[in-house]
Amino acid sequence: MLDGTLLIRRQAVPGWLGASCYAGGLCFGLGLSAILLVSMGISLENLYQEFVVQTFLTSQGLGQTVTATVPLILVGLGMSLAMRVRFWNIGIEGQLWCGAMAATWISIHDVGPEPLRLLLMMLAAMAAGAAWIGIGLALKLFWSVSEVISTLLLGSIAFFWVQHMLFGAWRDTVTGFATSPSFDPAERLVLLGWEQVHSGIWIALAAVVVCTWLTGVSRFGLLAKAIGANPRAARATGLPVIAAVSLFVLGSGALCGLAGAVIAAGTEYRLSQSIGAGYLFSGIVIAFLARANPLAVLAVAFVLGGITTAGGVLKVFYGISEAVVLLVQGLVLLSVLAAQLFADYRLTERKSG
Amino acid sequence: MTQGATRSQTPSGPQKKAGQAPALLLRDIDKAFDGKTALSGASFRLDWGEVHALVGENGAGKSTIMNVATGVYAPDHGEVIVDGRDVPLRSPVDAVAAGIGMVHQHFRLVGRFTVAENVALALGGIGRRIGIGKAAQLVKRKSAELGFALDPEARVERISVAEQQRAEIIKVLLLGAGIMILDEPTAVLTQQEAEALLSMARRLAQAGHAVVLITHKLQEVADHCDRITVMAQGRTVLDAAPMAQTSLAQVTRKAFGEVKEQEPVQPGTLGGELLRLENLRVRHGAVTLDGLNLSLRAGEILGIAGVGGNGQSELVACLNGLLRPLDGKIFLADEDLTAASPAKRRKAGLRVVPADRFDSALVRDMTLSENLALTGLESGRFGPWWGLSRRSMKRNAENSLKEFNVLGGGPETRASVLSGGNAQKVLLARELAAGTRVVVAHSPVRGLDLRSARAVLNLLVASARQGAACLLISEDLDEILRMCGSAAVLNRGRLSPPLSGADLNPARLGELMVGHA
Amino acid sequence: MTDLVLAWLTVFPGYTVPLLLASLGLVISERAGVLNLCTEGLMAVGAMTGALMALAGYDPLLAVACGALAGAALSLVFGVATVVFRADHTLAGLATVALGLGITGVVGRPYVQKPFDGLPRLSDTVWGADLPRLVGQQNILLPLTVLLLLAVWGWLFRTHSGLRLRAVGEDPAAADVVGIDIQLTQLGAVLASGVLAGLAGAYLSVAAAHVWVEGMVAGRGWVAVAIVIFAGWRPWGVLLGAGLFGGAEAAMLRLQTLGLDFPIYLGAMLPYALTLLVFCIACARRRGENAGPAALGKAYLRQDKH
Ligand SMILES: Nc1ncnc2c1ncn2[C@@H]1O[C@H](COP(=O)(O)OP(=O)(O)OP(=O)(O)O)[C@@H](O)[C@H]1O
Ligand SMILES: [Mg+2]
Repeated sequence: MLDGTLLIRRQAVPGWLGASCYAGGLCFGLGLSAILLVSMGISLENLYQEFVVQTFLTSQGLGQTVTATVPLILVGLGMSLAMRVRFWNIGIEGQLWCGAMAATWISIHDVGPEPLRLLLMMLAAMAAGAAWIGIGLALKLFWSVSEVISTLLLGSIAFFWVQHMLFGAWRDTVTGFATSPSFDPAERLVLLGWEQVHSGIWIALAAVVVCTWLTGVSRFGLLAKAIGANPRAARATGLPVIAAVSLFVLGSGALCGLAGAVIAAGTEYRLSQSIGAGYLFSGIVIAFLARANPLAVLAVAFVLGGITTAGGVLKVFYGISEAVVLLVQGLVLLSVLAAQLFADYRLTERKSG
Repeated sequence: MTQGATRSQTPSGPQKKAGQAPALLLRDIDKAFDGKTALSGASFRLDWGEVHALVGENGAGKSTIMNVATGVYAPDHGEVIVDGRDVPLRSPVDAVAAGIGMVHQHFRLVGRFTVAENVALALGGIGRRIGIGKAAQLVKRKSAELGFALDPEARVERISVAEQQRAEIIKVLLLGAGIMILDEPTAVLTQQEAEALLSMARRLAQAGHAVVLITHKLQEVADHCDRITVMAQGRTVLDAAPMAQTSLAQVTRKAFGEVKEQEPVQPGTLGGELLRLENLRVRHGAVTLDGLNLSLRAGEILGIAGVGGNGQSELVACLNGLLRPLDGKIFLADEDLTAASPAKRRKAGLRVVPADRFDSALVRDMTLSENLALTGLESGRFGPWWGLSRRSMKRNAENSLKEFNVLGGGPETRASVLSGGNAQKVLLARELAAGTRVVVAHSPVRGLDLRSARAVLNLLVASARQGAACLLISEDLDEILRMCGSAAVLNRGRLSPPLSGADLNPARLGELMVGHA
Repeated sequence: MTDLVLAWLTVFPGYTVPLLLASLGLVISERAGVLNLCTEGLMAVGAMTGALMALAGYDPLLAVACGALAGAALSLVFGVATVVFRADHTLAGLATVALGLGITGVVGRPYVQKPFDGLPRLSDTVWGADLPRLVGQQNILLPLTVLLLLAVWGWLFRTHSGLRLRAVGEDPAAADVVGIDIQLTQLGAVLASGVLAGLAGAYLSVAAAHVWVEGMVAGRGWVAVAIVIFAGWRPWGVLLGAGLFGGAEAAMLRLQTLGLDFPIYLGAMLPYALTLLVFCIACARRRGENAGPAALGKAYLRQDKH
């Protein structure tokens, strides 16, 4: 098949080519999404209003976008760290749930003195996220269990656990809804006075700095690169493979757990069944589009935050399911992936005869 | 399926007479891979009834031109004429239908399938769908005809490389190939096996086939080939010269230009004992190393000869710390390294150059400076743990590349771009860096051309001269005889006592290699 | 006690069949070398399409067929991305799941929670009224699944074209030189997996639940992916794996209807925990030895250096 075209792998992909294929794929995916939305009855003008003006250009919209961006940065960074050592963390949502549960647990049981409560919640969330991914990591290291499966199943398990708690011990007795009781004021991330933006943004930015240092400046960045590209050689040359992989993978889990706590303590002020939904695909899309680069994660998460915000608006005003965000993510991811063909390979015509 | 005239060619088929159209004519072939020229105006002419040698240095384009002839690579320009007819080769199976068979450098056999299944699969490709049982019969008949021992029911991944090669040859013959291309078939064989293979090639040629033999071993060319073509840098520099009128010196000059002589290995001046293996026992998969004892002194180059698959890889993995021995001890000087990690061994001065350099030593997708720095990270030479110094990595790489004469790339080049010989030099540059006391080199020149091979071996000699102890594990007897003052033989997981002096001769080694201990 | 077992046996196939169908599809696709993670999305699309057709008043069997077709259509997107455009299999698979879940969410929104007739039980059909209870409670897709299992096994391991398909997954370079069209084979395999996953999804809505809700696949696609690895990419192993998970799920439900005081969400968690456990044991037992097709998830290019 396709006998007419021949593919030859490029020895080195020129920067401009990689960039333009990436941009091309991105535009194609976004364009396709736009066409889709238009065909569902949203006029182009409204599309522009909702996706550009109302999300990025008005103070209120921008505030919402920034708020949505904070957890996205954290999960994007988490996925990126794991990707660096070729660990497929498909259980982002599970770690996020665990982090949120740990924070909620601290809140409900009033662990520690009040001034330190928030700090404790964040630390507990990181520990819980790391522990949850740690199971998958240990299974992989000791029994070569595919992490795709283990982290995924652990994700489902964590979600049932959350439900078990929310419908049981933690159910809010005041409202009777299946959510945890609301957090005390000391257990909430402080609002910065601009829309709903809260101090979680500083946490996210600090995480970006730490990850940039880890992957780009420190020795571990180079180790991770070697391990990701050729684990056999890394082991044979005596590099500390297990230590480095553990560092990155546990870090990944910790960041995702932290994301859970930041959502719970920053926007929801309680644990509910809906806070973790959709972060798996967002994390993957961000990490992939950002090529696992922490600074790029910041940018991509911001854009995706905008799309998420707009998705919420579409639901309320146009009656379109918020699954549309998922659809857009899938389309963009697929088209950027496919467009990479033109960067990785040189396409030539077969000479006749 | 085109039913080419050559399809009917079998060893017992009609003899082709001289004066007929050449079996294979490749004219003016250009081929570039992403701007990198592999062939430019190369040509090749093969006649019926001959064994034709194709030689040239690494990267000269030998495999590439033959892959053009078998439809694997599409040429950018040029024509392929098979038995006088211009055949369009759009895919490998077109070449099979035209009667061209190739035994690739890396065999095209499905490892999980049995020999018979592989043959059935291949015959299905040219429209002859047969059952596995029928295929097994065909294999049996063919191997009896050729005098091969081969079990058609054996899974390919379970049989030795030599047997896999036989399976591949039988497959190619059963497909009705009149033209057989063998790409470096003897690189992985013992001398006896190589001898058997080459005489089979001779017999095929006498029966009217045409055989192409790609090799780096010029002695084989002199002994078994009728004509020779030499390639260099994608061009044909010596076109189908009759062997009778060509000297090996002439071939060498054409192929490689001037080649540095092998540095003489100086005997004597051995220091104290550096490496000692005591009663080492290792089990891994089907292989068992049984009670290995060995002692290696400073300045010594000790050879370990033996057919591949007799425990060499396991020994190397065990010395590297990747495989735990069941029993026994490993000492470096007087330090017990039996349970030490790879990192600890490296620190103690034990360095390993494994056979599969791109699989378990270098990282293809990293630059040379990164590759060279990998093993020195712990020492802090390239900055503290919280801040890597790219500048010192680059400086280090520049020095190493210059010192070890690595061509074809600078510090920022990716390792995957390098040729085999240069990649090996980079690896040696890393492993022979300061602090090396014992070097374990496993087939360090396998697949390298004459010039690179000599350069690599010279590096090992130089390090021995500076007081390192060197263990050279190789399947190539010539290499062992030339390099080593003494050598032992690894056969079925057992190591013979070392031979030296007059005992160290091909006959004795060969005996130990195939003998049933 | 026997009542309980009998009750369990009656619902057991309902939980096993969709997993079995989806995993069988995965076996085909992965035996051809395409690492296929998109089952969850394909099943979702199959379930929704089937339900939509049933709601529109079409014959349930036709609805099921349409579900299968929808699965195939989405799998084609994945196939083109991985096989033709050589996208990373894992990422493309995940993207396809997002697509599938997104499509079902957007398109199916107006049809949520609307019950319909669906596929009748065998005992409700004109010719099946006299069947014993255990069989009568099933629907026509059960025998079809058994047939499919036999067919896939026979085809993969007993026919020439099965040999060719497996060769592609093991060593595409070797398959290429014997004239097998790698891309066509892989595309075909992916399509087959799409049909089967779509069928599995349609089973969930048209045959089992007789209603469609968003997210009704609920991770079964991922469980299918696990089952295939657990099964060592063998059809009979798939039967065992699907039976284990389906059996556990059915048992949980039975116990609950029995009024056993067991936390319901922990019960729902159990099949997943069990799958993980069994999966780990299977991996630990063949530690080191990779049982999967050798070229699984690797892009093949004829003109690469091999
Ligand atoms: N598929 C490919 N993609 C990119 N470059 C290639 C490919 N095949 C060959 N080359 C390049 O073309 C040149 C010729 O390679 P070729 O394999 O033909 O050499 P060779 O003469 O067979 O060498 P050797 O003795 O090492 O086998 C080399 O520079 C090689 O790197
Ligand atoms: Mg070659």
